[in-house]
Formats: sequence, C-alpha cells, structure tokens
Amino acid sequence: MTTDEHRSDDQRPGDRSSVPALLAVQLAKDYGDRPALEPLDLQVPAGQHVALVGHNGSGKTTLLRMTAGLLDPSGGEVRVMGHRAGSLAARRVLSWLSDSPTFYDDLSLWEHLEYVGRLHGVAEWQTRAEQLLERLQLSGRRDDIPTTFSRGLRQKSAIALGMVRPFDVLLVDEPFVGLDSNGKTVLLELLDEAAAAGATLLVATHELAFVHRVSRLIALRDGAVVYDGVPADADVHALVLPA
Amino acid sequence: MSDVVIDESPEAALRALRRHRQRNRLGELDWFEAAYRVYLLGGFGGGSVLWISSSVKDQTVGDAALADVLAHGPAVLGLVAVLAVMAGLRGGAQGGPLALEAADVVHVMLAPVDRRAALMRPAVQRLRSASFMAVAAGAIAGQLAGRRLPGSLLAWSASGALFGATVAGLWAGSALLAHTSHVRRPIATAVAVALGAWQGAAVAWSVPGPGDTVGSIGLWGWRQHAVDAVPMVVAVVSVVAGVLLLGRLSLDALARRSALVAQLRFAVTMQDLRTVILLRRQLNQEHARHRPWMQVRRGGATGRGLWFTVWRRGWHGLLRFPLSRVVRMTALAAAIGVAQASVVRGTTPAFVVTALLGFVLGLEVMEPLSQEVDQADRADAIPIERGELLARHLFAPAVALVPFGVVAGLAAWLSLGARSDALAPVALLAIPTVLGAATGAVISIVRDAPDPFSSSRTDAFVPPEMAGFTTTIRLVWPIVVSALTTCTVLLVRGAWRSGESLTGAALRGAIGSMLVVLLVGYWVRVRDRVRHAVRKFMEEGRAATAQQKRGVWS
Repeated sequence: MTTDEHRSDDQRPGDRSSVPALLAVQLAKDYGDRPALEPLDLQVPAGQHVALVGHNGSGKTTLLRMTAGLLDPSGGEVRVMGHRAGSLAARRVLSWLSDSPTFYDDLSLWEHLEYVGRLHGVAEWQTRAEQLLERLQLSGRRDDIPTTFSRGLRQKSAIALGMVRPFDVLLVDEPFVGLDSNGKTVLLELLDEAAAAGATLLVATHELAFVHRVSRLIALRDGAVVYDGVPADADVHALVLPA
Repeated sequence: MSDVVIDESPEAALRALRRHRQRNRLGELDWFEAAYRVYLLGGFGGGSVLWISSSVKDQTVGDAALADVLAHGPAVLGLVAVLAVMAGLRGGAQGGPLALEAADVVHVMLAPVDRRAALMRPAVQRLRSASFMAVAAGAIAGQLAGRRLPGSLLAWSASGALFGATVAGLWAGSALLAHTSHVRRPIATAVAVALGAWQGAAVAWSVPGPGDTVGSIGLWGWRQHAVDAVPMVVAVVSVVAGVLLLGRLSLDALARRSALVAQLRFAVTMQDLRTVILLRRQLNQEHARHRPWMQVRRGGATGRGLWFTVWRRGWHGLLRFPLSRVVRMTALAAAIGVAQASVVRGTTPAFVVTALLGFVLGLEVMEPLSQEVDQADRADAIPIERGELLARHLFAPAVALVPFGVVAGLAAWLSLGARSDALAPVALLAIPTVLGAATGAVISIVRDAPDPFSSSRTDAFVPPEMAGFTTTIRLVWPIVVSALTTCTVLLVRGAWRSGESLTGAALRGAIGSMLVVLLVGYWVRVRDRVRHAVRKFMEEGRAATAQQKRGVWS
C-alpha cells in the first residue's frame, strides 16, 4: 500500500524513479562526547529492500530515528524521497514502526486506527483496518485499549497502525521482538506486499534469517558502516559482533 | 466516531479526533471525585491562605520602611522576573516549554499535519496553566503585602496577579523563542547568567536593572507608572511570536520530553512533590556529572563497616551533582536567609516560605536517601535492617548542607544590614535552620518508601472523606515539620523587640531546631520497627478478640 494509491492525480508527483528513497549526506549524531553515528553517506534507491544489522548500540536506531525526523542530526542531513526528513512532505511518504510502540491510553485500537488513518487522509481506512486486524488476529481486541496489551499484542497493534496509512518508505526497528510465530509470518507477508507495491523498506533487525529476504544488507559497528552489499556475500554473524 | 466524513484536511481530522478524545476523557471522569478535589483545593487551600494571612497581625510598615520598599521593591521583584526569563531561556534551549504525549509524537507529529496547528492546543494549555499558577501566586503574595503596606488588599492582590501574569508571559515567551530559534544551551546560559548578574547588581547597588519595570508592576497596589506597561507588551508580543513560530519546535526535544510527561502528570496527581522535582530535573536534562567534583578515596570502605560504606556511597552521589543543581541549591539557601531576615523585620508568614524553600533544598540534597528508597528491591536485598540503612544515609547529605547553611546565614546577615549585633545569632541559627528545614524532605522521602510489612496500602480502604483528609495531611505534614524548625527565628525577633539577649534566643532556637533534626533521624531509624510492633500488636488483638468470640459462641 503505497502513497500513490491514496493520492488524487493532482497530488501525484511526476517520475520519482530518479529520486532516491533515502539520501544521507555526511549524516552524523553524537550524544555529548560520545559519537552514536559517524558521518555517513548513504543512498537507497526507491523500491529497494534493505536490512540494517549491527550489535546493540551500533547506531541502527539512531539512523532510523533521524530518517524519521524524530532525532536532530549533529551534522549532515537526510532526505526522504527528496524531502528533508521530518518535513510535511517527508512525513506524508514515510511510515515509522518503532521498537517501543506508543499508544494513547484513552483510545481503543480501532479508534487508534481511525486516528492515524484520518490524519493521513485515508479514505477507506476502515476496510484496510479490518483486513489488518483480521490478519494480525486482533479483530477480537479492536475495542480494547492497546496500552493494556501484552508486549506481542502491542507490537501487532503498532504494525497495524504503521500499515493502515499510505507510505512510500517504511522504516522498521526490531519488528519481530515479542511476536509469536503467526505474528512473524504475517509481518513478513505484509512486508513482502509492501515491497511488491513498490515501497522502499529499511528494516533494522537482529533476526538474521530475515537478512536473506532483502536485496541489500547494511551493517553498522560502533556508528560506522562496516558492510554495504548483497546479503549473500556477507558473513552476517561476524558483522553483528561488536568490535 | 466511525460515521464521520472522511474527505477532510488532516488538521480538521485532528480537531475532530481531539474532540473525540476529550469526550472519552470526560466520559470517564468521576464528577463527584473531581468536585471533591476542587472543594479540597479551593476550600482548604484558599481558606488556609486567607486564614493564616489574617491571623498574623503584623504592623503596618512605617514611612522609612515604605520608602525602602518603593526604592528597592522594583529591583527585588524584578529579580523574580529575571529568574523566570533565565529559566525560560534555559528551558527553551533544552527543549521546553512544551511536552507532548509520547503517542502524539509518533501519531500526530509524524503525520502530514501542519505542526503549528497541531501544537497550538498544547501550547495554549501550557500558557494557561503557567499563567494560572503565576497569577494565583502573585495574588497571594499581593494580599500578604497589602496587610503591611498602605493601599487596599484588593489593589495589592490585583497588582500581584498582574505581576504574576507578566512574569508567566515573559517566561513562556522567552522559552518558546529560545526553542524555536534553536538557541544553543551555552548561549542561553550565558545570556541568562548575564541578565541575572545585572539584576543582582541592581538589587545590591541600586543601579537600573533589566527587570525593574516588571518589578514595578508589583507595586501598583500603591502607585502606578505608565512605563510599567512596556514589559506587559513585551510579554504579550514574545508569547505571540513564540506561538507563531511553533512549527519550528524540535521534534527531537519534544520526543525526549514526552517520555517523562506521563510520569510527571501522575506524580502531580499523586501530590508527589519529590517525584515531580526528580522528573523536572530529567526534563531539563540535568544528569549526574560523568566525573565527580573530586574523587572519594578509593578502597577506604573495606572492612570499615556499614556506616563508612553508606557515608562513602552518599558522597559518590553528592559529588556528582551538576553545576546547575549546585547553583540552584545555593540560590535556595540564599533565599532561605533572606526570608528568615524578613521574619525578623516583621513579616511573620515568611517563616513558612523558609520551610518550603528548605523542604525543596532538602529534596535536592537527600539524593542518596532518595535513590535508596527508589531502589527498594536493592535495599531489601541487603542483610541490614532498612531503618538502620536509611538513617545512615542522612549523614553525608547533612554534612553537605553545612555550606548551604553558611550561604543562608550570610544572606540573612546581609539582608539585616550586616549589623554586628546580628552576626552571633545568625551564626548560631543558620545551620540548624537549614538542617531543620530539610527534615520535611526526609519525612517525605522515607514515608513514601514501600512498606515491607504489608502487601497492600492500608489507606486504600479508608472511606473517601477520610482519604481526602489523609491526603491533605500527607501533603502538609512534612512542611509543618520544616516550619517547626524555621519558626525558631521568632524567638530572636521576640528578644530583639523586648531588648533581651539575641544570642541566648538564637541558642535556644538552634537547640530546638537540632532536637527536631535528631527526632526525625531517630524516626527514620525506628520507623519500620515501630510499625512492625504496632501491626503485630493489632494482629494479636484481633486474634484474641476472635478467640473470645469463639468462646462465647461455644
């Protein structure tokens, strides 16, 4: 489900194939005297499926959060489909699935889906929401408050919220944490469908089996890129070890 | 909510959905409970302020004192305004003054909604609450001033409220402008320090200060100057400019602060001042220093017993206080001295202000104790009776308070005109007063520790009427204990007025304050033991009663 499916023609941009989905130029982040991400140049073409791996604290989440516009870079910049990260246009095309989902404690899951769907101008949000809930086995919980859910159900709810809206770029941080086997299967299907619809995927994960489903692997170690290429050529287990 | 029109702008959707959330919240509101809280706050709080104020029969100031107030009042009140601007500048540079719900950051701020439109409501709410607090505080201070200064109570209350509103506006405006202009923290701090130093010079040496015209508004109960309207206009313009620039707020900062807001609101709801202060420190990104101010000697604790181990742990924490915290504590100590001096000069209610300031200072310095209480699982895993452990946590902070006692004493002595006959009483009273005022904080911290003898809170079962009363007592009691130690300054004032020995009165006061300190220390040590004994006694009583009943029935 990409953004264009929900855009009227007058909003549809021209040929975007030449514009990279993600473009980072000398993107860096430090927390005081501790660098979290060394200056990074990165280009992800539209429609590419990328896995981001690395040990804890390697800079994966920092990179994703800066791309989502949730974190100010210390240096450089990142663009999403040609738009400055965090700008209105970038927010329209980018969906962010955090590893620690947040919900309102006064809205049911269904009301959350309506909230997010309507904020993104989705006309048929109900149909999409029902499909997602059905597939994620959350239909029976649609009128419950997600803040009361277990870790796995919260993760499933976050997936539904991330997918109910249109997007061209999907950023996912540790999507498999807390999911049961059915949840993992459904998430992989949803990611495949998004990819088939032309979305660009950037997935940070410790689930090394997932790496072989993508076309490009980027490994970070202590804030620096140590591998950028096809997964088949990489010794993934060695890449995720800290220095 | 499902049957709404869906062909709409994101902003319209946001408004509609926020209305829906409001309906949800109002639907869940227990109106009786809300009314009861309003009754408690309005009736007890407001009534108490008026009752305490009217029961203190202070004399109206003389012509010389009035001239003094008119000459120095604008600069002193201006210092309050400048402190607010300083707080605003620093807060804005650190990501304040707004804080959103964590879910709003993800679901609203990452949606294609105009950020200024999305942030307008939280901004207005923040301004509204800050203004309300400042106006209320200003009006209370105004009516207190009106009891000793010429002019009607109403006029003084109104001028206090107007001063409060202006200060709130300046605070909010400076914070919003600092944040939206992305002013860096060192620059904000430098500007704030320069403003503070300038206004400090205005107070000390009567040179014109940047906050004088704002401070002058506080004296409108007696006389009005047209030029004082300028800072009001500045406040309004800065707030409007800040609101217009809301779209430039950093989402990074909003996201960081949002994580703490829910906890902060919960703490406020629970009247948990200690947690509120802790979370405020986190909101301001006030972290412990990576390197302590000085190293505690390594390896000294080995084989030297519990007392030394806890003492050492206390200094490990205290020596990591960041500079901003030390400066704040110094300012609190100086304010304690000034407030106590004003009691001697005739403003009796100021000893309650001292108690409040000392309470806050105590919450700051008792960090090692707080940490032990907050990490209850760790404390309970140590094979030492908890009371013994907590009591030992009082020593390092108590010693750390001594320099702040000196600061308070110095401020009091200077406020009293650096008179030579005031030196001895000030020297005797300063440290015991600061230590005593901090005991309220100790009570507040230790009282909130989990009860090791009970799996449930007993006050959860008291009737609502009693629960409200209990809550109020819980809130007020630590301040009352602090005030018991700060009111000893009245002995000195009494001796001064009757021509008795000031040193003797100060000595009696110091002994009284230290007795309270020792009693509170003893209470910390035996609290668990006493509670355990009382509970055992009650259980035995219940068992005996049940046995008697069985005997009667059989």
